[in-house]
Amino acid sequence: MPSKESKREKAKEVVDILEEISILLDTDLDRAQLSLCVSLIENGVNPEALANAIKGLRREVKSNEKALQDIRPESSMSD
Amino acid sequence: MGDQHRMSRIDTALAQLFDSFLPVDPSTINDKQTLRWLDGLIQDATETVHAGQDDAPPDVNTAQDLIKRKLLRENASPEKAARFSNLYSRLLSMPVLNQKWRILYLLHSLSEEEKPHNGLRSPLALVDQQRLVKEKVQQQYDGHTDSEQSDQRSPRGSMEPKALPQSPRRLPPKPLSKDLEPIRAERDRPAEGTRQASEPAANALNQPTELDLLRDLPFNMQGLSSGSYQFVSARAVKLPTNLPIPILSLLNTLAEPCLLYKTLSNFVNSQDGGLVNQSLRAAIGGELRSYLGLVATLEGEIRRALTAIEKGEDNKNGVRAAGVTLKRCVIWTRDATMGLRLMALIVEDSQQKRGGQIITLIHSLLSSHGDPFVAGFAERLLVHVARPFYDMLRHWIYDGELVDPYHEFFVAENDPNSKADIDPRRVATSIWEDKYKLQADLVPSIISPDFAKKIFLIGKSLNFIRHNCGDSDWVIQYSQTNSKSLDYANTSHANLSASIDTAYQSTMSRLTYLMSHKFLLQTHLQALKKYLLLSQGDFIDLLVESLAPNLDRPAHSQYRHNLTSQLEHAVRHSNAQYDDPEVLRRLDARMIELNRNDTGWDCFTLEYKISPPCDVVITQWANTQYLKIFNVMLRVKRVEYSLNSTWRKCMTGARGVLASSAVDEKLRSDWKNARCLIAEMVHFVNQLQYYILFEVIESSWETLQRTIHKPDATLDDLIEAHTKYVNTIVQKGLLASSAEREDGFLVQLHNMLKCMLNYREVVESLYSFSVAEYTKRQQFTARIEKRTAAGKWGITEKDFNSRASTPAIAQREDRYSAMSDDNANNDSPMLLPSNTGDDTTLLIGMRKRMAELSNDYHVRINAFLYDLAHQPDVDLRFLGVVMNFNESYKPTNPRRQRRREKAKEADRKSHDMTGVSTAHASAKGDSSKVE
Repeated sequence: MPSKESKREKAKEVVDILEEISILLDTDLDRAQLSLCVSLIENGVNPEALANAIKGLRREVKSNEKALQDIRPESSMSD
Repeated sequence: MGDQHRMSRIDTALAQLFDSFLPVDPSTINDKQTLRWLDGLIQDATETVHAGQDDAPPDVNTAQDLIKRKLLRENASPEKAARFSNLYSRLLSMPVLNQKWRILYLLHSLSEEEKPHNGLRSPLALVDQQRLVKEKVQQQYDGHTDSEQSDQRSPRGSMEPKALPQSPRRLPPKPLSKDLEPIRAERDRPAEGTRQASEPAANALNQPTELDLLRDLPFNMQGLSSGSYQFVSARAVKLPTNLPIPILSLLNTLAEPCLLYKTLSNFVNSQDGGLVNQSLRAAIGGELRSYLGLVATLEGEIRRALTAIEKGEDNKNGVRAAGVTLKRCVIWTRDATMGLRLMALIVEDSQQKRGGQIITLIHSLLSSHGDPFVAGFAERLLVHVARPFYDMLRHWIYDGELVDPYHEFFVAENDPNSKADIDPRRVATSIWEDKYKLQADLVPSIISPDFAKKIFLIGKSLNFIRHNCGDSDWVIQYSQTNSKSLDYANTSHANLSASIDTAYQSTMSRLTYLMSHKFLLQTHLQALKKYLLLSQGDFIDLLVESLAPNLDRPAHSQYRHNLTSQLEHAVRHSNAQYDDPEVLRRLDARMIELNRNDTGWDCFTLEYKISPPCDVVITQWANTQYLKIFNVMLRVKRVEYSLNSTWRKCMTGARGVLASSAVDEKLRSDWKNARCLIAEMVHFVNQLQYYILFEVIESSWETLQRTIHKPDATLDDLIEAHTKYVNTIVQKGLLASSAEREDGFLVQLHNMLKCMLNYREVVESLYSFSVAEYTKRQQFTARIEKRTAAGKWGITEKDFNSRASTPAIAQREDRYSAMSDDNANNDSPMLLPSNTGDDTTLLIGMRKRMAELSNDYHVRINAFLYDLAHQPDVDLRFLGVVMNFNESYKPTNPRRQRRREKAKEADRKSHDMTGVSTAHASAKGDSSKVE
């Protein structure tokens, strides 16, 4: 269906634009994350709450990075 | 149901999203504790989202602005912001998303998180910053390096002050390990220069530290002295000498805005100057206020940094850690400094200038400076500075009033007292020309010279309509309907020019309408042409005819009431009676003052009174020119009239008195000559009149009419056209060159006219002589008949003896001598008849005189024609051709001939010393040359 096709095209374009903005703003979101965020917000999630959640999560991860690092060698990761 | 579905979708998406943030895949982790911890994290985050769901949504619509501001703030060039705007507009055109602003807001919030890393915090960012500060204080976490992060940002990394953990206000998202700090400091040293290295030393020498300097900076920036910054004069600042050079150079850089601010605030507080100056001052004051705003935020920033440092223990890195350094201050104030510098430049340059020149100065910055910052700044200033100018402009083009207490507008009112005392009759000026003048050097460059002229004309016309035409109602109405506020900001050039064009058109058309309808300019011009330029032939003929007996008498015996009554008579009996009474009322006859020897002809003049405001077009000067023309024309008319009357006499006489055989046999050749010459003269006068009336006046009139009736003719055009009209007539009507040479056309013409009049006198006397002769013959015949009837001899010897002393002859002698007295000032000497009263002597005298005058006339006309033929003007050459159409005259150059004669004369003198009268000889030479 051409309409569906074009719709997808459009959606892709939108995500492209948003990605560029996100790069401009240094948000550290990758494309998959970004499209997830977009769909969440389209579904009515409060953007501020979402932002806070993401930020909290990042913070936690960062602060516990060392612990995770410890795990890493145990798993397949190695650098 | 749908809601349920939606929630589950949200949950799935959230789970996916949060998973992706985790550094490791939970599924690969075996450690239960870690796994639980990770689960807990995700749980927390999900809860946060759900909890926030019920909160009132933030004001998401401003997200775009927030982002733009942030980008502008954090990047030196506007490039990124521009890119963002571009992206944003593309996004807006996409139909897919419903919640674009929310997404943008999310992105913005996320990026705010990263901010403290970027370090290039400007004071203005505070507002946004504070909103994001969370209550939760992050505890230190030792051990890990953020090598990943710092590598990622390595180019800037060394310059970034790392947020101190103890700072309660800033949350370091990537807490630094303490053990790395010394190394970092080591690394920073070369980059940061000697400042850090020398700081401890400076402290040791009791120098002001950077902190002290920073503390004082806000005051310094307002132009106040402090311990280390002392303003010694308006242009100099004294810095402590014991500071390291880099700091000194920073301080020097910072000194610029301080000093500039000081001078500018002095300027703003000063009083003198005109309106434009005052508005410039106000505009600069506004700019200074925003500069002070910057200083205030700077101060807040410095304060906060200082308190942060005081709280923290580590004083060594304090300055850098707090994110406020002198260097940074320099950078923050850079734009402001540029603005201050510009303003200082403008202020300095505007000292010697006023009004429009100041506007030109600022406008030149706007229009010819390549830097967009400068142009923008100048435009901002210009809006304020040009306000009084536009105010004046508005008053001028809508009310016709000059509201300019400081003489700043490019239209200036002439001081009536300082007017040079020139005779108004000599110079073509008027109230229209004199009241206002355009000052080209005050025209601001936002208005082109053409435009300035138009504006000048508009205001002048309005003013004229109001004050001189007494039509202020129209002006008021006009200004009420058309007036709109002019302003640099909302008046683009095209807009301004359009409104000025309309104003120009309506004003000009109104003015010309008033001139032609209310003040009957056209009628007046017509009347001037009719009466002063003798276009109304029947009127002027009648006038000359009725005035002739009067005007033949000397000037001092003329009375004004006689003249006016004759004028009245002429008007009543010619077609002039049908003219507008308004016109006739203005027509007047009077005598102009001349020498006592003059006859009435020389002094008489007609006058046409022009009242304001028509005197703007028909100026005093033009009036004088009209009178001049009238005078010459009247002279020609008079000669024409007298020649005509003589001619009439000759013609009637030829059928009566002169036809008798006795007179005919005696005076036939004399009469023949006289008739020939009179015919020549009549021809000359007719041609001259034809030329002046038709070739000169009518054609100029035609041009004038064309110009006047042009649809877009302005009053200036009218004035110019009329001046040109008068000038053309004066020039082509043989009058112009009279002032330059003593033998100009006017003088030549006068001499010829005089010659004609003299000749006419002689012809008149010849006529009387003929009549006398005729009567004598008649009486003689009658006597013979009587004697014959009485039976005596018809003729006795006594008759021949007493013939000379007949009463008739004696009477004639008297008249003759009286006439020659009258002509005493004639150039050629007249041989008076001897007292013996011999008829023949009288006749010989008359013949001689006629020959002389005839010679004289021919010499003059030849010279005249020669001069005409060598004129640059085509019309004048044409006149010469018309007069000499059959080449009966041989134009000679009188000057060359005179020179030749002089040479000849000298020659003759040397040859022949018997002393022949030179005058006689030259006369002979003349005649031989002519014939």
